[in-house]
Amino acid sequence: MVEVPINKEYRLKKIQNYIARMPSLSTTVTKVLEICNSSRTSPNDLNQVISLDPVLTGQVLRLINSAYYSLLSQATSLTRAIIMLGINTVKNLALSRAILNTLNGKNSCGSFSMDEFWTHSICVGVTARFLATIKRIPLVEGGEYFVAGLLHDLGKIPLLNRFPEEYLQALELSKVEQIPLHQAEDEILGINHSLVGGMIAERWQLSQIIYDALSHHHNISQTRKKNHQIVTIVALANVYTNISQIGSSGEFYSDDSILNYLLDQVGVDRDALLELHESLLKEIEKAKFFLQINRKR
Amino acid sequence: MKIKFWGVRGSIPCPGLHTVKYGGNTACVELRFKDLDRIIIIDAGSGIRELGNYMLAHDLSKGPIKTEIFLTHTHWDHIMGFPFFSPIYIPGIKLKIYGPVNYEDETLEDILGGQLTYRYFPVRQAELVSEIKYIELKEDSFDFGNGIRLTTKYLNHPVLSLGYRFEHCGKIFCTVYDTEPFHNVFCTDIKNPSYDESIALEGEQVAKEENRRVEDFFADADLVIHDTQYTQKEYESSKMGWGHSSFEHAISAALRAKVKRLALFHHDPLRTDSQIDELSEKYCRKKYPNNLEVFFAREGMQIDL
Ligand SMILES: [Zn+2]
Ligand SMILES: [Zn+2]
Repeated sequence: MVEVPINKEYRLKKIQNYIARMPSLSTTVTKVLEICNSSRTSPNDLNQVISLDPVLTGQVLRLINSAYYSLLSQATSLTRAIIMLGINTVKNLALSRAILNTLNGKNSCGSFSMDEFWTHSICVGVTARFLATIKRIPLVEGGEYFVAGLLHDLGKIPLLNRFPEEYLQALELSKVEQIPLHQAEDEILGINHSLVGGMIAERWQLSQIIYDALSHHHNISQTRKKNHQIVTIVALANVYTNISQIGSSGEFYSDDSILNYLLDQVGVDRDALLELHESLLKEIEKAKFFLQINRKR
Repeated sequence: MKIKFWGVRGSIPCPGLHTVKYGGNTACVELRFKDLDRIIIIDAGSGIRELGNYMLAHDLSKGPIKTEIFLTHTHWDHIMGFPFFSPIYIPGIKLKIYGPVNYEDETLEDILGGQLTYRYFPVRQAELVSEIKYIELKEDSFDFGNGIRLTTKYLNHPVLSLGYRFEHCGKIFCTVYDTEPFHNVFCTDIKNPSYDESIALEGEQVAKEENRRVEDFFADADLVIHDTQYTQKEYESSKMGWGHSSFEHAISAALRAKVKRLALFHHDPLRTDSQIDELSEKYCRKKYPNNLEVFFAREGMQIDL
């Protein structure tokens, strides 16, 4: 029998302190992720949204200069970089920089690999965006689906960093007993990553949509009605990603009935999802660039 | 320096009755230096096939061939001849391949060698017996050995595209393709909600500066090979943003940059010999300031600098 969590309050306090010191994913970074991920970004939008955050601007310029320039010539402004290299190149670099900013270090912990974690996260983001397209959701909103999917498991980071031993126990428990990871987290820690995800979203003042995706992707019935569709799509993308075993967020539990339930809720059939698989894999390959994994250069 | 054109077309090879005079192969230019045994090739369009055969017939007997290929960019018309470049199948031949690649793309090796997979071609990259080294280039300037100075410059094309400037013994040779003039891509319509005055103004300024920098890059060249796929009228009516220049733009830029000879290049596949002859009457017969000489590049044409 597993020990009953006794220090829930104490643990929550520790998590709160941790979140307070997490380099915040500013609203501008979320905006950058959103804008960069919509397929119709205008040069003006891109320039303006990056410029809102001077630190990010500096980082993007540094990345542009190291990727494309020698010391002899340097791109000195975003405007110049966009005119010289084209909007897509700058967009991709900004996106990669913004995602790296959310990485908060890349160290792995025991069996939990951060590279695998972000591969999982990106796959959920990309799948959610694909599903949005199938559901004929306007392209402009596609970026939001991507961000919601990308960040849905963010709550695992503080748990893993503050309580690494317990977290590894939870991973083990979910694997051995074949129960969902969030349930194992509850049993070992008395706190699960959905709860922590919600705390982060509040602290960072992310949108309600993102808040709901972080807190309710394992329990879609608790979602505000207006965000029901996006959270359901993220939940489906998550289950699908786990079944396809692209990356890993430590979830070893999979259950066909959940998949079928979510397919039904979203209103797509399994074949439509399978048809996407090839293009999905391609997107993931590209996204590995964002993580700077497997780079030959 | 000796320059020879092996392919002068843009977009796609277009052999046939109407392209006999100027040639139908896509971009490939050979550059050699007096008294040096280096062979430099710019672009591996379909024209490189004949060049490869020529090299095997004339250079192989003089010892192992060392070749350096410079790709201006990786659009298909500039790399499609690579699998048919016979030296890559000869053991002992050493090849260096240079080119620009977008950071988020595959490597140069994957992009070029990716043509050598069974789905496209009966031989795979891994089966090649020649020694091939791939080197990715940025905008830069460096000593290229044997007293050759090489400078590269980003041009304006939908994919990263480099211009090359070779300087040797006081002579200057530049390639400026595929490219079109830089434009202010930012919104200049005051009524548009995303209009931003400072961005709009900076955009104008930057486009002007970058066009100046391209001209500085080929300033004083003895020979410039410039993208001129379109007439100014064609360009303005429907080809803006396609990444190619007009005759008018290339000629006026060459005049400002005090170029001595200007080769018009990357001919549109639709352009017939008689049309090019007509255009030649219009653009090449004129007397230009500083004795600028303007001509249409032709397959097989050779120029000594
Ligand atoms: Zn071309
Ligand atoms: Zn091109």
